[in-house]
Parts: sequence; structure tokens; C-alpha cells
Amino acid sequence: MAQRHDASAWLRVEGAPIIIVFALLLFLFMWIAPVVFLAPSIYTTFLTIIPPLLLLATGLTFVIGAGEIDLCFPAIISFSGFVFALLFKEYQLGWIAIFAGLASGILVGYLNGVLIARVGIPSFIATLGTQFFWTGAAAVLSGGKSYALRGAEESSVWQWIVGRPFASATTIDWVQGLSVQALWTALIIGFLWLILTHHRFGEHTLFIGDSNDVSRVVGIDVDREKIKIFTLMGGLAACAAIMLTLEQKNFFGNQGQGYLLTAIASVLIGGTSILGGRATILGTVFGCFVIQILEPGLVAAGLTGSWVRTVQGLIFLIAIIFYMYVDEPQRRAAFMLRFHTIPGFGGASASRPRASE
Amino acid sequence: MAPGGQEFDSVVRLVGVQKYFGAVHALRDIDIAIGRNEIVGLIGDNGAGKSTLIKVMTGVLAPSAGKIYIRDREIPQSEYSVRMAHDLLIETVYQDKSLADKQPLWRNFFVGRQITDRFGFIDIKREKEIAQRILIDVIGFRGVGITVDSTVSKLSGGERQGIAIGRAMHYNADLIVLDEPTAALGVAEVRKVIDFVRRIKSSGRACIYIEHNLAHVHEVADRLVVLDRGRIVSEINPRQMSVNELTEYLIDLQHRG
Amino acid sequence: MRLCRVLLVGVGAAALVAAVAPAWAADPIGKGLVMYMQMGGNPGDGATLARQTGAAQAAEAFGVDLKAQFSAWAPETMIAQFKEAMAAKPNCIEIMGHPGATAFHDLVKQATDQGIVITDGNSPMTSLQAEFGTKGFGYAGVDLYEGGALTARAMLAKGLKSGDEAMVYGVFSQAERGQSEKGLADTLEKAGLKVDRLEISQEVNSDTSLGVPILAAYVQAHPNLKAIGTQHGGVTGTLQQVLEKAGKKPGDIVVGGIDLAPATIDGLKSKYITATLDQLLYLQGFMPVVQCVMTAKYKMPGLSLNTGAGVVTPDTIGGLTQLIDAGIR
Repeated sequence: MAQRHDASAWLRVEGAPIIIVFALLLFLFMWIAPVVFLAPSIYTTFLTIIPPLLLLATGLTFVIGAGEIDLCFPAIISFSGFVFALLFKEYQLGWIAIFAGLASGILVGYLNGVLIARVGIPSFIATLGTQFFWTGAAAVLSGGKSYALRGAEESSVWQWIVGRPFASATTIDWVQGLSVQALWTALIIGFLWLILTHHRFGEHTLFIGDSNDVSRVVGIDVDREKIKIFTLMGGLAACAAIMLTLEQKNFFGNQGQGYLLTAIASVLIGGTSILGGRATILGTVFGCFVIQILEPGLVAAGLTGSWVRTVQGLIFLIAIIFYMYVDEPQRRAAFMLRFHTIPGFGGASASRPRASE
Repeated sequence: MAPGGQEFDSVVRLVGVQKYFGAVHALRDIDIAIGRNEIVGLIGDNGAGKSTLIKVMTGVLAPSAGKIYIRDREIPQSEYSVRMAHDLLIETVYQDKSLADKQPLWRNFFVGRQITDRFGFIDIKREKEIAQRILIDVIGFRGVGITVDSTVSKLSGGERQGIAIGRAMHYNADLIVLDEPTAALGVAEVRKVIDFVRRIKSSGRACIYIEHNLAHVHEVADRLVVLDRGRIVSEINPRQMSVNELTEYLIDLQHRG
Repeated sequence: MRLCRVLLVGVGAAALVAAVAPAWAADPIGKGLVMYMQMGGNPGDGATLARQTGAAQAAEAFGVDLKAQFSAWAPETMIAQFKEAMAAKPNCIEIMGHPGATAFHDLVKQATDQGIVITDGNSPMTSLQAEFGTKGFGYAGVDLYEGGALTARAMLAKGLKSGDEAMVYGVFSQAERGQSEKGLADTLEKAGLKVDRLEISQEVNSDTSLGVPILAAYVQAHPNLKAIGTQHGGVTGTLQQVLEKAGKKPGDIVVGGIDLAPATIDGLKSKYITATLDQLLYLQGFMPVVQCVMTAKYKMPGLSLNTGAGVVTPDTIGGLTQLIDAGIR
């Protein structure tokens, strides 16, 4: 048998590839557009924009890690955002609006889980359907209107969730811009990382993604755990909705649509496998950073709009192909074999036909 | 090394068990008892009901009728589950469904019964230590470059069977059920698996062994139970029948109405 | 007249450009200025291309470093992109009114306090214009209500009488965007027509081909229908197909729409479409750059430009085809 030593052992450090990509991109942008990227303002701005994406992508890490997919979360951002905005603005319910918003997201997630686990509809189809339903529900109930949360920054809700704690303490503008939501998001994600890597629930998630059959055989209640996973996703989407709505001080008619592909892409380029069984939250976090930084970076570099999509697509493809090779050592070995037989790249045996192993 | 405990005759006993899948009568009038320290080979053609029988025995499926006794105590059907079977020290080893490919060995050893604190957080350090011990001592593993952190995908087919059987033995299973353990394995690997099966008996445990390859099961079984179209048609002592005679007998069964 | 005023401003801009032309040999007056601009949809979109061209040509003429942002018309993306633009500390930022004045107010205030010039295009925010006009907050776009009214007047000119039946298909539920269709419907009603207001659903809004069977069915169910009006660019493009399916000939029904999508151009040429409001998207891209330079360099206040000053009819479409292909009209 071929030797089993892992030359690619360093790649197994959680999230290493995507962290390197992020660092490279960051240095690249710092070099091309130092005015923007060597100043702190852009980073504090990111901190106010990225939390919803981070929360969604973390929830998706569990979902995709379990071998499923969730297409419904943009609709939850619409629906839960509406519930929250309505109660916050029209009925002045403050913290109750927060709980109602969270509860609505958890409910939708739970229903998704039941459809998938108990009724047995494949998750792609089930969440596609529920996405239409809940987006429609939000549109019907809101009449397509947007809600402006005028004066929201006065309320304790705003202060606690997205507030700027240093606004009056200092005159340095980037410190003033630091938002509390980044802190809450970091805490939530840190906690979920612990769950995924150190808790029974995280282990169950990965086993379910690896194989439903094996999980049942070893005694995991696959149905119950799947319901939990989708409920978690619903709750996180509701969190994202509330943070987004408060930060904008506005609920927009169909907010959330833009997050569908970016959230999924962030998870996949971070190293979580679409096939299930392997997931990394650290990778997802840096995947979000990469996705987030791409557009402003390219715009600041002066590239016209069309290029942004092309570059995003390129990075996505390179990442996926890379992970495929890390995942499948036979494919990598076969590729390296062919690589070495190219004259000039191989050893002495390059010109001689190789004996089969 | 017999597991200590109470006095009982049979580890598992099925009385009058029936199983219907819709209109299909998959198991008919099953009466079978597995002794404390024997290897029972379960043979029969495809579709005879072997898999269904062990699924009923191990809590994966509930019988449509009949009783199940474990260690001579009746188990109510509504309560029986895989988890309960594990608690009652009955383990099943599937050829390709016992281990999760992409997960490391130490997780595969403990999944379903993790060592956790009050909140469900796994004591990873302890699990790895114990996994290391199981790997070396219980299974007697000698594979090169394999540690408890290696993923199952790095192991050969025979090695995977060994891990799965070793896991079952570690949890002091009194009964280990093997579902076609040598299918799709090469000669050397089959040898390893048969040695593992012998270890089960020598450690004082019982084993049910589903097998298509009559030569393999003939070698290790104490008793052969033949299943045909959902019914137990005979029990055979392998000392009294050669492999060729066995093969003839089974073919005969097929031709009979 | 409105047309005269537009011409005046246009001539003024051209004169300005001509006047500073000799100076280009030295340095264009906007040199060194950095501007972030919201283009709206996706690069190359029907409703975005002419805007991109106008902005790019203005930037080149004035020497401005222009950074284009695309939001696929999503309000929350526009806001996020505004924050990113602000963090880059440019000289000017151009935004659009889709998120609404309330959503933008605090952000615009923050940016203006930091000395960035903010101006608006395509969709108005009059309260912000009033508050920040002196700091350069202008508007280059259609006055939505007036644009609808203008389209209606062009339709009325084609011989609609009091008592005729008309249908207006629009996004009435969107408070601000719905002003266009409201202007159209109100003007027709004031002239004595019986107006049936139909709401465009979310599905049709994103994929206008889904509206064809709906409209065709409506037309067949109302044999006395004399006029159809809309202010949705995509829907306008489907109206020829709708009338053909309903068995009508060009001229049977007076049709008023907006923008110059390829299908709309065909509709005009075949005389199915009577008049379409031209938003002059090119100017919606060109003028904000001018605004930026004028305010950043010469401290001029924000100017308001109504680019919905004219309609295109079957008579006038001929002369425009070349310009449309070049992405200017």
C-alpha cells in the first residue's frame, strides 16, 4: 500500500486555505487602494454590514454539514423582519418585538424541519417551496410597504443590539463607528463553534451529513436532530433580520433576497463540503470575509462592475476545485503522477513508464 | 472473559414473530433462540428475510406480531429501539453502514454514547485516550500510519470490519450481529474478519452471522439457521454437513414451491 | 415649457464643457476628484446601460475617478454600498431614492458632515434635497408623478374622449414608486376617462413575461377598452405581444409606456405603442458627475433636473436607433 503520510497535514488546520486567501486578498487591496484599505473606517463599516451574513452562513454550516440545504432563509429575513418592524414601530413594543421576531423565525425553521424530517420532502424542494410561501406571506401582510423606524436609535433595543457604545466617548470617527452587533455576533458564532466541535449535537450533525443510515445504526435520532438543525437556522435568520432591520432603521419590502447565494457561497469556499460530513465554522467566517471584501475592493481598485461577478465566480471555482483535491487523495495522487511525467517537472523516472501500484 | 451477570439461557429469543410490510408477509412464525456463547450462521437466498429478521432482533424495526425476549425477559415492542438494544448489550455490525467514512476513528468509537458533561459537551481528551486503548488492545490493530484521528476512509475493508467489531466488543455486547461482513473483501481481508469473529466467541460472547458465502460461515458457525421466504425451514450442524452438501440443499430449497 | 428648460440646462452643460475644453490641454477641472456612483441594476441592464455610459463619459470629460456600484435594485444593498463608499472617503457619492429618505437621512448627514458631496439620481428624496441642497444635494431623474402625467397627455393627444375605458397597470402599492402610475391614471381620469387600476404582482414585477397572459385576458374581456397605460419598463416591452395575442391591430388601443427596451422600440415602429416616456438615462448618469464637480470645486448648491421631459413616439423613434445601439439612449 502507498505510504500514508500526510504531506497536506497543514491543510487540515481548520480553515487554513481560506484564511490564506483572505490574507492575500487583503494585502492585494491594501497595495492597490491604500487610501481605503490602510484606513480603519472601512473595517468598522464592515463590522456593521457583515453580521447578518455571518449569522446566516454559520447556520448554513450546520445545515450543509448535515448534508441538507436551506433555501428558505431569505424569506425568514423578510418575514421575521416584518414581524419585528411591525411590532416595534406600529405598536411600540420594544423588546417584545425582538422576542416575537425571533419566535417567528424559530417557528418557520421548525416547520421546515418537520417537512423535511417527518414528512420526508428533500430539503432542496421543501425549502424552495417554503421560501415562496413565507416571502408571499410577508408581502401580503405588509402590503409591499416598507417600514421606516424613525428615531429608533433612541430606544434601548437599538442601543443594546446595534448601538455604538463609543459614540460620545471619543471623537475618533472610526472608534465612534464601532458597533455592538459585531460583539454579539462574535459571541454567538464562538458558542456555535464550540457546539460543532465539542458538543454531542455538533457530532450528530456531522454524522448525519456523512450518512443517514450509519447515524440511525449507531443510535442517533436523525429526524429529531434534523428538526433541531433547521430550527437553529430559522432562529439565526431571525437574528440576522433583526440586526439588519435595526442597523438600517428600516424594513424593506423584500429584504434578504440578496443573501441567498452569497451565504451559501461563503460556506462552500470556507471549506465545508456540500456533500455533508465535514464542516468548519472558522472557514465559513473567513469565507464571509472574502465574499464581503471582494466587491468594495474591486470597486476601489477601479474595475468596472462586470468584473466583480467574474472575479467572484473565479474565486468560488478555484476554492471548490481545491477542496475537492484535498478531500480525495486518490485524485490528487493521480494528478501529481501525471504532473511528474511532464518532462522537466518529474524525477529520473519521468521518461520511463510507471509500473502499476 | 465472559461477561458476568445474571443467569439466562438465551441472549435473544423470538417467539411467534410476524412482520408485514403492507401486504408482503416478510417474516412468518419465527421461533428462534440464540445461546450465550455460540456463533449462529443465518443463511438463505436473497429476499428470504435475513436482514429483516435481525432488524427486528436489534430494534431497528418493530414486529407486526409476536414476542421478543432478551436475557429471558420480555421486551415490550413499543419501547424497543436501537438505543435500547445498545443498553441491553446487543450490537449490530453492518458491512458498509457501521462507520462514518469522513469522521475520525475516535468519534466513530463513541458516537451515540459519547462521554459528556452535564450539558452535552464531549470530553474529547478522554475519548481519544480510550479510543487509543481500544485500537491497540481490544482490536489489536497493527495498521501503519493510522491513529485515532485518522478518518475511516483511510482503512481497508477488513480493517473497517475490525474497528466495527472491536467497538461492539468494547461496549461489552453480549450479542454481536454481523450483516454480510465479508462481502466485497479480498482473500487476506476475509481472513482477518473470520479471526475477529472467532475472537467474539473466545471472549465469551454470542454472534449472529449473516453470510452468503457458505464456505466462510461453515468454517466458524456452531449452528446454521436456514431462512426461506420468511420462514425458518431448518437448523443444521455444520459438522454434519459439508459445504457441498449445504449448497445442494439450498439450491433444492429454491426449486421447491 | 419643460422642454425648453431641459434644453437650456443641456445647452448650459454643453457650453460649460466647451468652455473648459481649452483648459483640458492643461488639466480637466475635475481632476483628482473621486466619486462613487450607484448605477441601480446590474451592469449592462436595459435600465442601467445608458446611465453607465453617461457617467463614464462625464467622468472622462471632467477627469473624475468614477467608481460604479451595482445593487440589483435592492434597497438594503444600496445602503450597504453607501456605507462602504463613505468609508472610502471620496469627494462625492451619488445615491438613489429607493431606500427612502428616512433610511438615508442619518447616513447622508454623517457623510455631509465629513465633507463628502452627496447627490441623488433616478428616484427622488425631496426632504433630503431641501435639507442638504446647499451642500450640493441635487437630483437628476424623473419627477415620477409628472412623468406619468406627461405620458398620459401624449396618449390623450391621440384622440381619447371623455367616457372612454382605460386600464393602468402599475405598482400602486409602492408609495413612492407608485407615483408614476398614479400620475398617469389621475391625468386620464381628469380628462374624463373611466380608469381601471390594476396592480402588478411581485412575480410579474421581476419577470414581465408572466404578465402577458394576464393582460391579454383583460383586453379580450373588455372589448370597449380604448387605452392602456403603464410606467413599468419591462411591461411596456410586452404590450405589443399582448395586443397581438388579443387580436388587436395597431391603433385600436392607445398605449402609453416608459423606457426604450428593444421590444418597446419594435412596438413603436409597428405603431402598437403610441408613446413612451424617455427617462434620458444618459443624463441620469452624466449630470450627477457634473453636480459633483460643480459643488466640490465651485461650491455650487444642488440642482434639480427633471429628465422625464419628453416622450418618444413612432414618428421620432427612427432618428434614435443608432444612439440606442450605442448605449446612449
